Amino acid sequence: MEDLLEQLLHGLTLGSMYAMVATGLALMFGVVRLINFAHGEFFMLGAYAFWFSFKELHLPYAVAGVAAAAAMTVFGVVYQRTVIRAILDRTWHVQLIATLATSIVMTNLAMIVFGTQAKEVPTTLSSTVITVGGLRTTWQRLLVVAGALVVFGALHWFVTRTKLGKAMRAMSQNREACAVVGVDVQKVALVTFAVSAALAGIAAALVTPLFNIFPDMGALLALKAFAAVIVGGFGYVNGAIAASFLIGIAESLAGGYVSYAYKDAFAFLFMIAVLLWRPQGLFGRRIGI
Amino acid sequence: MGLPWIVAAAFPGQQRYLLHILVFTGLFASLALSYDLVVGHVGSLSLAHPAFFGIGAYAAALLATEAKWPFVAGLAAAVLAAGAAALLIGVPVFRLAEHSLAIGTLGFAMVTHIVILNWVDFTRGPLCVTSIPRPSIAGLAITTLPAYYWLTLAAFAVAAVLYRALTTFRLGRAFHAVRDNEPLAQAAGINPLKYRMMAFSIGAAVAGGVGALYAHYLTVLCPEELTISLTVTLLVILFLGGVGSLRGIVIGAVLFTALPEVLRVAPTWRLVIYGSLLLAIVIRAPEGLDALFRRRAPR
Repeated sequence: MEDLLEQLLHGLTLGSMYAMVATGLALMFGVVRLINFAHGEFFMLGAYAFWFSFKELHLPYAVAGVAAAAAMTVFGVVYQRTVIRAILDRTWHVQLIATLATSIVMTNLAMIVFGTQAKEVPTTLSSTVITVGGLRTTWQRLLVVAGALVVFGALHWFVTRTKLGKAMRAMSQNREACAVVGVDVQKVALVTFAVSAALAGIAAALVTPLFNIFPDMGALLALKAFAAVIVGGFGYVNGAIAASFLIGIAESLAGGYVSYAYKDAFAFLFMIAVLLWRPQGLFGRRIGI
Repeated sequence: MGLPWIVAAAFPGQQRYLLHILVFTGLFASLALSYDLVVGHVGSLSLAHPAFFGIGAYAAALLATEAKWPFVAGLAAAVLAAGAAALLIGVPVFRLAEHSLAIGTLGFAMVTHIVILNWVDFTRGPLCVTSIPRPSIAGLAITTLPAYYWLTLAAFAVAAVLYRALTTFRLGRAFHAVRDNEPLAQAAGINPLKYRMMAFSIGAAVAGGVGALYAHYLTVLCPEELTISLTVTLLVILFLGGVGSLRGIVIGAVLFTALPEVLRVAPTWRLVIYGSLLLAIVIRAPEGLDALFRRRAPR
């Protein structure tokens, strides 16, 4: 029984990570109608930024985490100003190929700059095993789940209470109407990107002490995030979050009880299974935050 | 086609290297043509091509090394296996809308890579399949480089003829109709799903065949051959050469296989350059490229 609960907790940890990344993806699609194939690389860069701040600059954990999130926010802005602005009004094929190309460039540049050897960033939180109610875990895993909840709470507040957040929701519903009413569409797009990138950075800071960092870690993660976004109903952020947790738990259980080597395949299989049953995703085609 | 001999005469001693480059170019050109069938002519942006290439390559390699099948039988098996995989994955994946097709096929490609990498008992995984025998067709052993060059040339000729045949006449027009305006094609009685699946599976089958030839040429086959870098290279060939154009794709293949080999660019830098190039072309595309995609009816 403990085994099952431990797997479930692991699944929650995974789900939190996928959810944070998937939310960024869903936001970009919902608000700006963009499929960002390079999103996995946002996470990868965030991970390296965290590693650099924590291991090389020897900043304390919390500061390094904030540094990683800040670095990613800047990167998100730069990315939007350069790549995205050029492809925003083009067909989705162009957007897909452009972001795919960017993803390859970033992955290989990371290989060149950081080398292909995996990097480890253990913190005191991740290396001490604690026992909570009979379950063995680490503080870090609990931190990931708690962090995700805090982040989603903050996001929800942002989107419902602030003007900018409301503008994001409005844009996800009807972009032309927003422009007509006087919403600064460019600014909202920029903010969306910054938020998505920051989310990836925060996720990286929380999660990388648990796993290794290597240049192509973004690809698998992006696939699972995409699976979550599709299963949740493209553009529907809450759906993506729910689907992320489902995928995380399914993967953990499958990895523990079926096969560890193929656990990564389960997200994809899950997605195909759901789509065969309900092509519009679990929550339908609701666009919105 | 006597080009190699002419160039060999001009650069004595470089013969082997030149032939090697030509074999690679021929294989990649055939692969690019099969990919263009799906992307350029029927308009489905599939990212699964490396998986079909890999399935064909591994099928041929394993049948030749483990089951000691003759080359031609292994080649046929490779083609059929890849085509069958396409049919299998096509059914769920073509039900998805647009972008989801890309993600679905990408997922399939990644999962295939994961399976091949991890099923060590069957595929040797990271240890690679080694000692793949050189082909032998009806008793004629193809062990020398010039012989392999002719084999590749023959294969490319088949691919090119197939490509031409499938993209002209009524079939070609049906493909283009589905690509350019799916609702209209449907109204005219052309079943989009049937034609997309047709192009998808034929493209996959050819890719599988190329994979088999590739495995026999290298005599060693590792899981790294089926990663997304292959897709990016193919996309660059298609976009720089000219989507939908036989000549353009051959030129693209020559540029993007021969040149990096000759310049000895490291794989990582190669991909950085390809990616940047792809990004640049796709953004600044002349109306032709964009018009190709924009001719589809809005969804």
